[in-house]
Amino acid sequence: MTVKYESQKIAQHFFTFAVLLFLVQVVVGIIAALQFIWPEFFILNFNIIRSLHINALVVWLLVGLMGATYYVVPEESETELWSVPLAKFQFWATVVTVTLVVLGYIWMGINPQANSTALFGTGILNEGREYIEAPRWADILIALSAVLFLINNFMTVLKTKKWTGIQGTLLAGLTFLALMYIPGMFYTKSMVKDQFWWWWVVHLWVEGAWEVIAGALLAFMLMKTLNAQRHVVERWMYIEVALVLFTGILGTGHHYYWIGTPEYWLWVGGIFSSLEPIPLLLMVWDAFRTTREYRTVTNKVGLFYAVAHAIFNFVGAGLWGVIHTLPQVNKWTHGTQITTAHGHLAFYGAYVLLVLSMIYVTLPAIRGTREFSGARAYQSFWWMTISMVFIVLTITGAGMVQTYMERLMGLDYVAVKANYNLWFWIFRAIFGIGFLIGVVIFAIDFFRLGKEPLKVPSGEAIRAEG
Amino acid sequence: MSNRALRNLFAFGSLGFFVIFVILTIDTMGKLDKRAPEITEEVNLGKKVWHKYDCIGCHTILGNGSYFAPDMTKIAEKKPKEYLKRFLMDPKSVNPKATMPNFGITSEEADHLIAFLEWISKVDTNGWPPKPILAQAVAVAGAELSAGQRLYNQLNCGACHMINGIGGTTGPDLTHVGSRRDRQWILGHFKDPQAYVPNSAMPSYGHLSEKELNDLTDYMVSLK
Repeated sequence: MTVKYESQKIAQHFFTFAVLLFLVQVVVGIIAALQFIWPEFFILNFNIIRSLHINALVVWLLVGLMGATYYVVPEESETELWSVPLAKFQFWATVVTVTLVVLGYIWMGINPQANSTALFGTGILNEGREYIEAPRWADILIALSAVLFLINNFMTVLKTKKWTGIQGTLLAGLTFLALMYIPGMFYTKSMVKDQFWWWWVVHLWVEGAWEVIAGALLAFMLMKTLNAQRHVVERWMYIEVALVLFTGILGTGHHYYWIGTPEYWLWVGGIFSSLEPIPLLLMVWDAFRTTREYRTVTNKVGLFYAVAHAIFNFVGAGLWGVIHTLPQVNKWTHGTQITTAHGHLAFYGAYVLLVLSMIYVTLPAIRGTREFSGARAYQSFWWMTISMVFIVLTITGAGMVQTYMERLMGLDYVAVKANYNLWFWIFRAIFGIGFLIGVVIFAIDFFRLGKEPLKVPSGEAIRAEG
Repeated sequence: MSNRALRNLFAFGSLGFFVIFVILTIDTMGKLDKRAPEITEEVNLGKKVWHKYDCIGCHTILGNGSYFAPDMTKIAEKKPKEYLKRFLMDPKSVNPKATMPNFGITSEEADHLIAFLEWISKVDTNGWPPKPILAQAVAVAGAELSAGQRLYNQLNCGACHMINGIGGTTGPDLTHVGSRRDRQWILGHFKDPQAYVPNSAMPSYGHLSEKELNDLTDYMVSLK
């Protein structure tokens, strides 16, 4: 099996960078976990390590989604990409910008005074805002890169004007994503307004635009791995992404309970965010129903990862979110490790597995291989998933202890963290190593897939067609 | 419903919800300034210091942030200003067990940051963070507290000090203070902490009446 259009191979550039950043993210994640036990464990302080951990995550997922889009759009438009040189330029510009930002964080970690605010009014190395730490000059470059990326894809669609539901939804999600970066790009004197607009970026990304993209890519993967009929997968996709935005946009209100915003957000956020798991559950049902209906699987590993993505999207983003989304509960859990637990499982299920499944669905064609062994793919999946489930359980435990002792009993934050939660941190770090093993196996598989002779009997090999 | 109809439902429905969200946002923006004190230039400069040192990389504020270090929303209510200033400029000099590194925060930056933290402690957050209900239940049950114990609670000594595992960690643990120090030392220390512990960050409680100081000292001496 090969790609239908040569330009689809550009996706591989993006996937490679994504996989490398994934490794970086998990290594610094383990350092951060160890710093919970020994705060002075590493030469860089926790704040820098954590910025690297979450920024590497956000960037590699975005880069992975860009790669996936460059694969999907030519296929759906039935034509070559509008401009491969532009895609390559946009790729390398992104790599250079991200590298500069990372070097800036490290420099700030060594010399905190270097983060001067003289030039932009905000820090030249780090804006000091969670998730969107990247300084203003990098914001502008990242936005430019996103614009070039969107232009390239829209021009490709315009070549043949085949507006399929999948690519229309995918590009709508990506455009929404790019637009929602803007509310994070201006300074406000009020910390309340700062956080209000900051949630526009963070929430409308992960519980809005990104879920729309996930819905579109899930439909694409079900079609590719099962030869499912387009009009059926697109019908359910529309219902899913509609419900994602109908619940998710006003669901932003669950971040506006306690930050100095009016009380009506308790109602708006409580009601709409409680409904947010519904479309995610629908995606699980959709994945299972389609799999049962079309029994001829053309890419078992790809389908396996796609279904796992749907399940853990629901469990991580849906269930682990809804348990603390009601104001009556959130009043006690807000700002505790419960949020960290939700964040870890949600990002893993909704987006890490999404990008990995897109890699397994598209890479055999990009590498031009007919069959590949799924052994390493399954191995890495179980290492990562079991480790992540236990990481999340340890953090959930820590969060419950913290909520009870700090919030209900009034014990000191530091005492709870250093004494009562110590074993949770130790187990979390151990399972972190397990997760890293899974990522290393995945990375090896990524670089070797299609480049080595099959060792398993061909009957057990996975046929990759489509 | 046809796919086309579903697509339109998705597109226009989402747009509709977004419009509602924008309307609520405009309404909220009009109300925010009334729910918080005025933002002076000092507060704004303090916010910039907050961003410059990436404080959110470890702390939370309004409950959002990194969960590695305590929430800063109400810190200005809990800790005396002088303590905060000294801590910010050199954390380990006032609390040797402190995890926070010395970032080289200047005296001026510390003043601005404290102004910012005072501002945020006065924002109307719909009652967050809630008062610990179990601790309150104990206080109600403890109607027979001694005068010294009541003063200890009123003065919020527990913000910094710990007794039997309850209270703060920034000041020394007082669980067995009665067996470490005598009555005279404790009474004198309340009036002028720095005369007894040269580098102490504790404010003086010399403004209390002689009876109050005696009650508080009785309580401390009883902690063996």
